[in-house]
Amino acid sequence: MFRNITLGQYMPGTSFVHRLDPRIKILVTLTVITILFMVDTLVGYSLVFLFILGVILLAGLPTRFVLYNIRPLLFILVLTFGLHLFMNEGRTLFSIGPLVATYEGAFKGFTMAFRLVLLVLGTSILTLTTSPMELTDGLENLLSPMRRVGIPAHELAMMMTIALRFIPTLLEETDKIMKAQMARGADFETGNAIQRAKSLIPLLVPLFVNAFRRADELAMAMEARCYRGGEGRTRMKQMKLTTGDVLTGVVVSAGMVAIAIYL
Amino acid sequence: MNQVGDRIIETENLVYAYSQDQEGETRALDGINLTITRGEFVVIIGRNGSGKSTLAKHFNALFLPTVGTVRINGMDTQDPRHLWKIRQTVGMVFQNPDNQIVSTTVEEDVAFGPENLGIPPDEIRRRVDLALEWVGMSEYMRHAPHLLSGGQKQRVAIAGVLAMRPECIVLDEPTAMLDPSGRREVLDTVRRLNKEDGITVVLITHFMNEAVLGDRVVVMDAGKIVMDDVPRKVFSQVELIRRLHLDVPDVTRLAYELDSSGVSVPRDVLTVEEFANALCGF
Repeated sequence: MFRNITLGQYMPGTSFVHRLDPRIKILVTLTVITILFMVDTLVGYSLVFLFILGVILLAGLPTRFVLYNIRPLLFILVLTFGLHLFMNEGRTLFSIGPLVATYEGAFKGFTMAFRLVLLVLGTSILTLTTSPMELTDGLENLLSPMRRVGIPAHELAMMMTIALRFIPTLLEETDKIMKAQMARGADFETGNAIQRAKSLIPLLVPLFVNAFRRADELAMAMEARCYRGGEGRTRMKQMKLTTGDVLTGVVVSAGMVAIAIYL
Repeated sequence: MNQVGDRIIETENLVYAYSQDQEGETRALDGINLTITRGEFVVIIGRNGSGKSTLAKHFNALFLPTVGTVRINGMDTQDPRHLWKIRQTVGMVFQNPDNQIVSTTVEEDVAFGPENLGIPPDEIRRRVDLALEWVGMSEYMRHAPHLLSGGQKQRVAIAGVLAMRPECIVLDEPTAMLDPSGRREVLDTVRRLNKEDGITVVLITHFMNEAVLGDRVVVMDAGKIVMDDVPRKVFSQVELIRRLHLDVPDVTRLAYELDSSGVSVPRDVLTVEEFANALCGF
């Protein structure tokens, strides 16, 4: 049942956005996020929104699918708007008992919620158009200058790679153990929350024991293949920054900074 | 090559012991003297716990001897300066194909070894392509490993070792978790490596029909080598093999049973074809 799972939510493609160097994509995303916290006018937000919309269209992503990412956020959005609506001083819009909604509150609430939506959209474009492998390599590359201050860039990237590699394997194993335990009469579906949590024990114990055994064997296999950390290691796939990549990065970042300064 | 004699692996009075509770120590390996020559195809058999897997792990310094020495191309495995050279010289393929694949695509995984050796990117690319071609997995280059069959995964693991350009490959029960067709894929690959590329092969197995493939069979029991000879000689000693709780290849057993019950057939056959020819010769 887990056979065809996709890792992350990467949607393969050949658009300009897909082909952009992952490092540039990560940096641009970071810039957009930072700018979103500096902008405070409606015009500014709208410009960022238009930019994000443009990228989605350029990447050829199905708009509805992208917007779907906002759904889990709905509760937080409503809460944010509600809190701002009632907690601000200003001209009265309406009142419910002691709670007074204000025009200023409505405006603040709306922009805050809008900011959240833009944050989620901006980051999901990154994960939608970049394969997990590229993302890992990009992060390793960007973090590697920080090694001197003690950030283990290579180790973090290797952990991510191994995690990505073993997610499908462990899911398959979960499926297998579940069936094996069901054949022995285990019941994973009925009862209240506590009973159901308890019934997971016969699943989790073998799963963890196996995961540790796997980790042990994998470590030995890696050592047998001369793995000794990031020191002196080369990579088959070199990331190459093209002029186009750099130009895109500079133009977009400059645009974002301009929005932050002037609007 | 220029190494001492032509010995690629050499163990001298190798003992590997580990402590167990208060009982004192258990000797997993107890005085192993074994020499493997360049280009040989050696099969190591023995029942579970006989120490065959422990021995294999000494060949590329994953385990270090408690007493005695192991030398690879004359390099002592105890000497940390030789560690990486030894691991590059002797490649290792393990039993569980899932637990030795590191990366999320086939080509990235094959590149893992050469990347660790610090080889330039272009050269890695070349080696990866060659290694995948060798094991017949080129078309799966960009596949995710978890979507491959067991035999395919093991071939990828072999390619991963080949890309490091080893002189010897040690395979620790590489077919134990495979179905018959996967087993055949892996064995064919291993045999080709030995015959066509002259790579030294040490195959550890508990399938007797695989043991027949070797130039030489080493039988282990309780941490010691009890037999070391060409397959024909080893398997002609049916009683001894059985006393060690091992089996002989099916055909050999058939010939032995027939001969013991009075039908006179040659006892030292190893393959079905051989036996058929022997019978037709009557």
